[in-house]
Amino acid sequence: MSYALLLIFLLPTLGIPFVYLTGKKSPKAAAILVALIAFANMALLFTTVPTVLNSPNHEYIESYYWIPILESEFTLFVDGVSVSIAIITTVLIIVAALFSINYMEGKSNLAVYYSLLTLLSIGLVGVFITSNLLLFYFCWELMLVPAYFIIGGWGYRDPYRAAFKFFIFTHAGAVFVLLGIGAIYMVTGVTDMFQAQAALMTVSPDLVRWILLSLTAGFAVKMAVVPVHMWLPDAHSEAPSPMSALLSGVIISAGAYAILRLSLATVFPAVMGTAFGSDFMHGLAIFGVISAFFGSLIALVETDIKRIIAYSSIAHMGYVLFGLSLFPSAPIAGTVVITAAITGTVLHLITHAVSKGLFFLSAGAIMHQTEVRDIREMGGLAGKMPFTATASATAALSIAGTPPFACFISEFLIFVGAFEVINTDGFFLLPTAFMLVATVISLAYSLRYLSHVFLGQAKSEGEKPILDVPNWMKLAMAILVILVIVLGIWPTFFIHLINTVQFI
Amino acid sequence: MVEIWDVALPIISLVTFAFLTIPVFKVIRRSQHKTALTLAWFSTVFIVSGAAVANLTAKYYSLPSPQPFLNITSTDTSSATLSSAFMIDAISIYMAVMFIAVSAVVLFYSIFYLGSKERPSERYFAIMLMLTAALMGTVFSGDLLTLFIFWEAAAAGSSFLMIYRKTPEALNSTLKYLVMIIIASAFIVFGLSLIYSLTGSLNFWAVREALMALGDNHLLLVAFIFIATGYSIEAAIVPFHFWLPDAYTAAPSSSSAFLSALIDQGSYYVLIRVLVFILTPPDVLNWTFMLAVLAALTMIVGNLFALIQDNVKRLIANICVADVGYNLVGITSVTALGLTGNLYFFLMGGITTALSFMAIGIINHYGFKTLEDFSGLGKKMPFASLALVIAGLSFAGVPPFGGFMAKYLVFTAAIQANLSWLAVIGVLTSVLQTAYLFRLVNYMYAKNPRDETKIKEPKRLLIPIFILAAAIIILGLYPQIVFNLIDPVVKQLQFIP
Repeated sequence: MSYALLLIFLLPTLGIPFVYLTGKKSPKAAAILVALIAFANMALLFTTVPTVLNSPNHEYIESYYWIPILESEFTLFVDGVSVSIAIITTVLIIVAALFSINYMEGKSNLAVYYSLLTLLSIGLVGVFITSNLLLFYFCWELMLVPAYFIIGGWGYRDPYRAAFKFFIFTHAGAVFVLLGIGAIYMVTGVTDMFQAQAALMTVSPDLVRWILLSLTAGFAVKMAVVPVHMWLPDAHSEAPSPMSALLSGVIISAGAYAILRLSLATVFPAVMGTAFGSDFMHGLAIFGVISAFFGSLIALVETDIKRIIAYSSIAHMGYVLFGLSLFPSAPIAGTVVITAAITGTVLHLITHAVSKGLFFLSAGAIMHQTEVRDIREMGGLAGKMPFTATASATAALSIAGTPPFACFISEFLIFVGAFEVINTDGFFLLPTAFMLVATVISLAYSLRYLSHVFLGQAKSEGEKPILDVPNWMKLAMAILVILVIVLGIWPTFFIHLINTVQFI
Repeated sequence: MVEIWDVALPIISLVTFAFLTIPVFKVIRRSQHKTALTLAWFSTVFIVSGAAVANLTAKYYSLPSPQPFLNITSTDTSSATLSSAFMIDAISIYMAVMFIAVSAVVLFYSIFYLGSKERPSERYFAIMLMLTAALMGTVFSGDLLTLFIFWEAAAAGSSFLMIYRKTPEALNSTLKYLVMIIIASAFIVFGLSLIYSLTGSLNFWAVREALMALGDNHLLLVAFIFIATGYSIEAAIVPFHFWLPDAYTAAPSSSSAFLSALIDQGSYYVLIRVLVFILTPPDVLNWTFMLAVLAALTMIVGNLFALIQDNVKRLIANICVADVGYNLVGITSVTALGLTGNLYFFLMGGITTALSFMAIGIINHYGFKTLEDFSGLGKKMPFASLALVIAGLSFAGVPPFGGFMAKYLVFTAAIQANLSWLAVIGVLTSVLQTAYLFRLVNYMYAKNPRDETKIKEPKRLLIPIFILAAAIIILGLYPQIVFNLIDPVVKQLQFIP
C-alpha cells in the first residue's frame, strides 16, 4: 500500500470526532475505538516491514507536497529502527486504552480523555516516522499539549502542578531543538535529515558543534537525563497510570530516539573523528552513568509505589544514553557500521517500553484495588491479587535485567558493545564498570519493591476486601506479559529489523 | 488592465454601505426578524465588497507580468508622478484580502456581542465599515500623502470604537490615544515635508528613485527619524507603547478584536511600506540596528508587562505589544524570508489576538475579569476556555498552531540576516510567554471554581470564534495556503532594486 504512512496520520485525526461522540454515550466503546485505531496503525506499520527488510536501501519513504517555500515536504519515512519503535508505540497505546476502561471507570469527562489520547497518539507515532525536521518538530510538540491536559485533568494529588512542570521543562527543551533545527535549515538550506547529513559535512565544524550541543541538550530534557530530570518523577507519578505507561514507555524513548536519529546520525558525522567528537561521546557516557546511578539509588529508598518506577525510568534512560555514547566516533573505511551497542540500545528502548509499561500498569492496578500508594503500608498482596503479582514480578525482573525477560537481552547487547569499544577507547572501561554496578542496584530495588508489596504479612485491611483486577486490566497486562517474555526469548524479529539500518 | 475604478470600488462600496447602514437599521428595527435581517444586510455588504476585492485581485494577476509599484492614476499627464492616488502591488492585494476576510468575522461577532437592541449600534457597525474602507485606502495608496490621509483616518477613527461604552476608563484611555495619534501625525507631517523638499515628490516610486540618487544623507536622516518615530508611536513600539494596553482594555471586546486584528496590522503594513520599500534603498541609510534594538526592547517589555498582569484582557493587550516586537524582527531582517514571515505573522497574529479578545469578551460578560476569577473556568465555560487555550498555544508558538510557523519564519529570517542575538532573545521571550500563558491555563483548569453555577455560553458568539480557531489550526498545519498568496510578493521583491 503506498499511502500506509499517511494513513497513520489520517486515521487518528479523522477518528477524534468519532471517539468524542462515542465517548459521550459509552466510554468503554470509545476506549475500544482508540485501541482499534492504534491497532490499524500497527497493521499499517507492518505493511511497510517487507519493504524495509527487502529493498536495497532498507527504508520506506512517502513524500507529499507541504511547504515548498521552506524546502519542506511532508516526508514520511521508516527504516528498521523507526518502524520497530513505532510498532511498540502502537502496542502501548492499545494497552493503555484497554487498561483505561476499568481504571478510569467513574471519572468525569471520559469522552475528552479518550479524544486527547487519540490526539496524543498522532504525535507519539508521528515523531518516529518522519524524516523532515519541521514535521518532526510538529509531532514532537504534539506529544506535549494532550499529555499536559491528560496529566492535569485526570492525575493524582496536585496534578496540574506536575503537568505544568512537565510542560515548561520539555517546552524549554524543545526551544533548543527548534534553534538547532532552524540553524540546520539556515546553514544548509534543507530540512530533510538525510540531505542535511550530507550538507552539514561541508559546514565549518565550529558551527556544527553548537548545533549538536543545542539539539542534544533539548532532547536530553525529554529523555530526563540528570540534571534535567526534575519534571519526570512528578509527571510520571501524578499521571493516571495508563498515561504513565505512555510517558515512560514512549515519550522519554522519543528523546533517546531523537538523539540517535538527529544528534548522532545527522549532525554528528560532521564532527566525527575530531577531538570534540570523542569528547562529546565521553560526555554522553558520563551523563549516562550519573543518571543510571542517581535513578537507581533514589528508587532504592523511595517509598511511593509510582515514584520508585519513575526513578527507575531515569536509571534506564541512563543505560540508553550510555549505549548511545558507544555510537562509533570515527568511521571505519568510510562507513559507520551499526554495532552491537547501538542494536542493544534501540532494542532496549523497545524492551524497556514494554517492561516499564507493564510495571506502571501493574502499579496502577495495585493502587486502583487498594487505594494505597506507600509500599510500607502494603504487603502480602500476592495471595489476594495473584494475577497482578505475576505481572509485577515479570515487569520488575525484566527491569532488573534477569533472563529470560526482555530487558536482559538488550542490556547484554549494550555491554557486549561496550567491551568492543573498550578495545579502541580505554576511556569507556570505567563507565562500563559503573554501569555493571548500577544493574546490581536495579536488581536490589526491584526485589525490594516486590517483597514489600507482595510478600510478607498482609497489613490491616480497609472496609472492603481487596480483589484482583477486572478483566480489561487483566487483558492489557497479559498482552504486555506475553510480549516481555517473547521478546526475552526471541528478540530476533526486532534485532533483524534494527540491523538493516546503516548510519552512513 | 487595472483601471482606477477597480481599485476604488472596494473603498467606495464599503463607504457607501457604511452610510446606508444607518437608514437600513431604521427599517430593520421596525421588523420582526431583527437578527436575520441584520445578518442578511451585512452578508450583502461583505459579499459585494469581497467581490470588489476579488475582481481587483483577478485583474491584477491577469496582467501579463505583475509589476511592483503599478501606478493607477486618473490623469495621464506628467503631474501623475507628482501625486498618484493609487498604487497596487502584491502586498496591497494580500493585505486587502486579509482585511476584508478578518473584518467580516469580527463584524459578525460584534453583531451578537453588542446585540441589535442597543440603540446606537448601527453607528458602531458603520464606523467599522468606514475603518475597513480607510484601511483599504491605506494599502492601495500610491503616495506618501494619500497613505497619510487614509491611515490617519483609520487610526483616529478607531477611537470611536474605543470610546463606545463611554465609561470613565474608556474616555481616559481614548484621550490618551488621541493625543498620541496627534503627536505622531505631527511628527509624520514634518518628516514628509522634509522628504518632499529633498525629492520634489511624494509618489512612492519617485521618492525612492530620488533618494537613491541622493548625495547628502543628513537631511534624510532627520526626516527618517521623524517619520519612523511617528509611525512607531502608532504601531506601539516600546517606548511609545503605553497607550495600547489602556486602550484595548477599556474598549469593548469586539472593538479590541477589531483594533488588534486590523488597525494594528495596518500599522505594521505602513511601517513596512514606508521604511522597507520607500525610505531605505540599499546603502542609503542603515537603520536595521536601531530597529533591531527596538524590536528586542518591545519583545522584552511587552512580555514582562504581560507577566505581571492580573487582568486577563490587559494581559492579552500586553501580548499585542510583544507581538509588535516579533513583527519588527521580521521587518528588521530585510530578506525574502523575513517578508514572508511578516506577512504571515500579520494574518496569524491578527487572528490570534482577535480570537482571544473575542473569547475574553464572552467571559467578561459574565463578570470574570482577573486571573482569580478565571479559576475553574474550564468547567464552567468549556468552549470559550478552549478557544482561549488555542489562542494561548498559538501565541506561545506551539505547533501545529499558526503562531509557531509565524515565529519560526521571523526567527530564521533573523538568523539569516546575521541577527542571531535577536533570534535568541525572541526565543527566550517566547518561553516566558509560554510560562505566563500556562499560568492562565492552570487557573482555568487546575483550580476549582468559586461557585457551581452553570453558565450557558451564547452559541451565536461561539461560531465566529471557532471559525478563527479553525483558521489558526488549518493555516498552521498547512501554511502553504497563505504562502501561495505571499509568494508573488517575494517574487516582486527582486524587481525592486
